[in-house]
Amino acid sequence: MDEATRVYVKDASKRFGHGATVVHALADVTLTIEGGSFFTLLGPSGCGKTTLLRLLAGFETPTGGRILLGDQDVTALPPNRRPINTVFQSYALFPHLSVAQNVGFGLKMQGIARAKRDARVDQMLALVRMQDFAERPVAQLSGGQQQRVALARALAPEPRVLLLDEPLSALDLKLRKEMQIELKRLQRETGITFVFVTHDQEEALTMSDRIAVMSAGRVQQIGTPREIYAHPANRFVAGFIGESNFLPVTVADGAARIGDHRISLAAPADPGPATLAIRPEDIMLEPGAALSAEVTDTVYLGNAVQIMARLEDGTQIALRQPATIDLPESGQRIGLRLPVEAVQILEAE
Amino acid sequence: MAERRFDPTRLPGFATVAVAVFVLLYLPIATLVAYSFNGGDSVAVWGGFSLDWYGRAWANETVKAAALRSVVIAACASALATTLATLAAVGVVRNRRMKGRAVVYMAINQPLMVPEIVTAVALLIFFASVRQFTGYQGLGYLIAAHAAFCVPFAYLPISARLEGMDATLEAAAADLYATPRQAFRHVTLPLLTPGIIAGAMLAFVISLDDVVITEFVKSAGQDTLPTYMLAQMRRGVSPEVNAISTMLLMVTVVLLTAFFIINKQTNRGKQ
Ligand SMILES: Nc1ncnc2c1ncn2[C@@H]1O[C@H](COP(=O)(O)OP(=O)(O)O)[C@@H](O)[C@H]1O
Ligand SMILES: [Mg+2]
Repeated sequence: MDEATRVYVKDASKRFGHGATVVHALADVTLTIEGGSFFTLLGPSGCGKTTLLRLLAGFETPTGGRILLGDQDVTALPPNRRPINTVFQSYALFPHLSVAQNVGFGLKMQGIARAKRDARVDQMLALVRMQDFAERPVAQLSGGQQQRVALARALAPEPRVLLLDEPLSALDLKLRKEMQIELKRLQRETGITFVFVTHDQEEALTMSDRIAVMSAGRVQQIGTPREIYAHPANRFVAGFIGESNFLPVTVADGAARIGDHRISLAAPADPGPATLAIRPEDIMLEPGAALSAEVTDTVYLGNAVQIMARLEDGTQIALRQPATIDLPESGQRIGLRLPVEAVQILEAE
Repeated sequence: MAERRFDPTRLPGFATVAVAVFVLLYLPIATLVAYSFNGGDSVAVWGGFSLDWYGRAWANETVKAAALRSVVIAACASALATTLATLAAVGVVRNRRMKGRAVVYMAINQPLMVPEIVTAVALLIFFASVRQFTGYQGLGYLIAAHAAFCVPFAYLPISARLEGMDATLEAAAADLYATPRQAFRHVTLPLLTPGIIAGAMLAFVISLDDVVITEFVKSAGQDTLPTYMLAQMRRGVSPEVNAISTMLLMVTVVLLTAFFIINKQTNRGKQ
């Protein structure tokens, strides 16, 4: 991985306002973004994703902590002195300039000669497949086309890091899927570090090398999509990424107890009350199993069925099965098995 | 039945009042314009159509000098006022948390709040001492005075345009390596241009027809078109004044029409 394009964020915090109205938009965020990777900030609206991106771009200075690019401390550098470019959520294309002039803007500000600039603009427009629109005013472009121009404009000066703030949220579903593939391609071809912001967990899982899941101004977990999905660090992550069942259990002697049913655990866990997390699709139906539940409802999903059931202690549980099984009736008792490798023990509520 | 909002056009007698207002506003002007084409030398008795008074006004060296002086003062003052208004607007609109915003706002709009006659007397006294101190006698005093009272008029369309402008565009410029100066030059200024042109035209028109402050501040031989006309009227009304007024009216109408067209296009461009 490329050392010079690695981003370190160390204990960064950001407060807005003061006194009674203070907002802690970010609290002690520490993370490393490897050079040349596709890194995603994922979290619900208001969790501080944009604020973190603005700190990286230089539009805001952190209230505390530092930001390093490679081994250079950029915390106090203004945006125009950082080799980091942004694709804004609203695109922010310059309405008085043509497509080509927009793409060449950064190069012009850097004082790059006309001929070299034009060549680079052509190359960038080809990269995002907008060659035929070079002389158009940007107001005449569709949303998807503006998006491509914004990408080309941000990539043209060859930044070390590209920041993208929910770039796809304004597009319709079909275009969004296309642009997801397009963005992955651009990241691979340019080798530039992408820091991508989204609140859409599916988008984050399909596109990222690594994901930082954020909530309430804090990083909850950092890892590959697989790690985060399979081993969520806490209840927030387990609930935000995909669906999870949360069952209150008591841990003792390397096993979790639900009522008088024992589930032996693969990994050691602290004894005492805890929460057991398991994905609906990981729960197996097993007639005659020791853990039983009463079906309360079934929902047909096309490629699967979701069965809602109630355990003996009254806890609701959801499980997902292939659509080919015989649907149990409401009120019927079913036996459940929670495979040890799919079980995750989290702190109690 | 759908609820109707209060509609003043439905009040009894609305049409009568409306017509009366229009007549009061425009009939005198229409009369003035009509009598500027009067063949006789009265402003009350029609003596047939002629362009005689335009010819006389045009041939009158004093009128020509006053007209030129008016244009020079209006051009310099509006350029100065527009520059100041632009800087003030960028400073105020782009710094929401600026300390003393209210004070700056008051300073900019001072000419609209203080009675013009008071400003005129104050300027007269102030410039008298400056004159004594520096010995300077030129048009500078009039230009400075006009620039001062034109600022709020230039400020209005410029700040409105700036308020409507997306601040993200300036952030984008900074993100793309523009220094604050370059961002202003390559992004803010071009997008602000329609507002600046509108502001300059408004300031020009306001300067062109000022009487009170000019009358107080001017030295001997510094008559503008309006103060020349005032002096003429004291001696008795002649259709020559009508002709000059009509020409002044034409210039103003043309400039204001252009102002509205620019404003309208700008607003359309925003949507
Ligand atoms: N300029 C600001 N002034 C005051 N509060 C702000 C400002 N910017 C963001 N915030 C607050 O900080 C929190 C995080 O906002 P943001 O980073 O935009 O979240 P996200 O992008 O994840 O939706 C929110 O509570 C928001 O209201
Ligand atoms: Mg955001």
